[in-house]
Amino acid sequence: MSKPTLLLIDDEERILRSLRMLFMTNYTVRMTTDPQEALRILREEKVHVIISDQRMPVMQGSALLALARETSPATMRILLTGYSDLEASIASVNEGEVFRYLMKPWSADEVRQVVAEATAIAQASYAVQSHAPAVTEDKKPRVLIMDDDEAVSKTVCEILGDRCEVIWANTAQHAMEELARQDISVVVSDLMLGDTNVGYILKTIKQLNPQTQCIVVTNFNDTSRLIDLINQAQISRYLPKPLNKSSLARNLDSMLARFHALRSQPVLANRQAVAQISDPKEKLQSGNFMGMLGRLRARIGV
Amino acid sequence: MRFNDNKNFARDIHSLVNPIAAIAPDKPVSEVAELFLNPDYAKVLSLPVVENGIPIGVISRYRFMDLYLKQYARELHGKRPIRNYINHRPLLVELDQPLAEAALHIAEHMSFPLTEDFIIIRHGKYLGLGFVMDLLKAMESQMRANTNELNQAYSQLKSSQMALVQSEKMASLGQMVAGIAHEINTPLGYVQNNVAVGQELFIHIQNLIAGYESLVDNLLDEQADEAEISAQMEQIAAMRLDFNAEEMLGDMQGLMVDSLYGIGQISELVMNLKNFSRMDAAATEAINLNDCIESALNIGRNVLKDKVEIIKELTELPKLTCTPSQLNQVFLNLFTNAAQAMETMGRLHICSWYDEQAVHVSVSDNGKGIPQENLVRIFDPFFTTKPIGEGTGLGLAISHQIIQQHGGEIRVESRLGVGTDFHISLPFAAGNVAQSAQPSIH
Ligand SMILES: Nc1ncnc2c1ncn2[C@@H]1O[C@H](COP(=O)(O)OP(=O)(O)O)[C@@H](O)[C@H]1O
Ligand SMILES: [Mg+2]
Repeated sequence: MSKPTLLLIDDEERILRSLRMLFMTNYTVRMTTDPQEALRILREEKVHVIISDQRMPVMQGSALLALARETSPATMRILLTGYSDLEASIASVNEGEVFRYLMKPWSADEVRQVVAEATAIAQASYAVQSHAPAVTEDKKPRVLIMDDDEAVSKTVCEILGDRCEVIWANTAQHAMEELARQDISVVVSDLMLGDTNVGYILKTIKQLNPQTQCIVVTNFNDTSRLIDLINQAQISRYLPKPLNKSSLARNLDSMLARFHALRSQPVLANRQAVAQISDPKEKLQSGNFMGMLGRLRARIGV
Repeated sequence: MRFNDNKNFARDIHSLVNPIAAIAPDKPVSEVAELFLNPDYAKVLSLPVVENGIPIGVISRYRFMDLYLKQYARELHGKRPIRNYINHRPLLVELDQPLAEAALHIAEHMSFPLTEDFIIIRHGKYLGLGFVMDLLKAMESQMRANTNELNQAYSQLKSSQMALVQSEKMASLGQMVAGIAHEINTPLGYVQNNVAVGQELFIHIQNLIAGYESLVDNLLDEQADEAEISAQMEQIAAMRLDFNAEEMLGDMQGLMVDSLYGIGQISELVMNLKNFSRMDAAATEAINLNDCIESALNIGRNVLKDKVEIIKELTELPKLTCTPSQLNQVFLNLFTNAAQAMETMGRLHICSWYDEQAVHVSVSDNGKGIPQENLVRIFDPFFTTKPIGEGTGLGLAISHQIIQQHGGEIRVESRLGVGTDFHISLPFAAGNVAQSAQPSIH
């Protein structure tokens, strides 16, 4: 069997040479400093994983990955960056839809592991891509709003009308109970619910149901927290508050569509496989949530 | 708080009114004299004489003393009406007159020694007596309040100005941090990875050598089992197949060269940073201004390199006593402004030279230029034409201030669509002239 292909883009050739050495035994490594060349390779070859730098003179990494997404949807996208500003990280979620957001300097073992994981997922994606049977919906999709502010829930109701059932949870407990049912298509959540930081809930969602899509709406701007949410929760969108209704509507539509697509091709949900929770407190909270699952279900009668 | 005190002090004429009963002009002198003995009037210097509500004069204690010192005065004058003895031109103050104005009027007309109080009137009618001392006290406390207010306003201004300087520093630093973090993390990334890769390679090669050695040992051993030898040879062949040592070592050598280069880059950056900030050095120092220019160029490199080609014409300069960290900030701001004025790749021309009085630096770009109507405003705090996040509008305001504090001058010339020219001149302090004339003897 031929080796999987890894494509590397960075404006510093020394980074390329260094990474190539790390991967050349197990991968066919393609590398370039030119984003246009990278896109050409994506068009012409079957690339499993692309790793791009963020700051490059001609094109930002997140923009390149957004183009890569169109050119070669099965390719798994990883950003490797020397400096993360908020704008770049938001773009990497909303446009690049990156699988992982990694920082320089990186740990060789970690990058190798992430690339291996991504490769396996890409291979599965390539395998199913050709045939996608449509499933007919039997039930209205359920959308969960986790926000103190009922206005967010109302806005979502206005947008979705009676296409969906919208549930508003303003406590972590209520949110967890709803998520325990495992039938939520899309979560729209702030990062704080009352006094509770709901990061751990968002990071547990994919364990409950890998197909659930998560839109974070917040006025909280913290780059390192966002990067954690990318890697450990695989949130699909990060929208700033105050909410722009038409942008929210557009994103709700595409997330509902993605949820349906994943229902018919469950293996593709792996494309949003999450990394381990790094924060010890959140790890504990998430563990407790998973542990409570049986009791929660008994209580809500699932 | 000191401030609230002055609420207890008089703020207007109202609070100075002492409702002392007025004297009718026909009251006999002796009766008026009695009044002055009344302990209630102990503080009173003079008494008002009022006819039909209108004050027509005052009679002072002093005048009485003067009068009564004469022989038979009591007998001579005692029965006569007071009208004949009064000062017909009393000090009059209108009730709604501002305190300061009243004080001015009184100061101009009062006699020394102070013998009379002033009369407070309203629409010409007698209202009461005012004591000059009270008025002066009120004036004094008002002035103190004013100075307090002024002082407070001044120190507030001062601290907010400091905060502004700081925030511009932080903003430009913030822009730089992105570039600098990226510049350090990039070499750090490949150096660290190269070491990790090298470590693995090391283990591979160790295994390979161990394989070769035991093969050689067996080959030299007469009693060695043929089957074992061929197994070993197969093993080594397999190892060679999935691991091309020669090629890997060749590549690794390349990575070593890269790593050394990367480490050099990092140390250079760290040194630049140290030179640039010299956090402790708000202190003055005698330095070559070209060093400030180079330092700012190094720090700004990441922002500048894709925007402008830099042309330097730096003359060897005598040392100048200045605050280097501040001048670094000035240059960095001029350079970033120039870079930000470029629509495509542009040119940044930096010249330095000196004459007897001063060191001169010009920073010229061929960017979009500054429209005439903006030219007078660019040194104003908060004047910016840049989007939020890119411009604070403080860079030039602070640069201007820094140059002024150095006793220097910053001038600008600009032509729309052609470019902009900043000229800085920094005079030698007295000590520097001598220093510049001949190299110091050590
Ligand atoms: N070299 C230049 N070329 C064109 N415009 C300039 C240049 N330098 C300064 N300016 C103008 O002067 C304004 C004020 O500059 P500055 O005080 O440094 O604030 P800021 O750079 O944060 O806007 C800028 O917004 C820009 O419009
Ligand atoms: Mg500026």
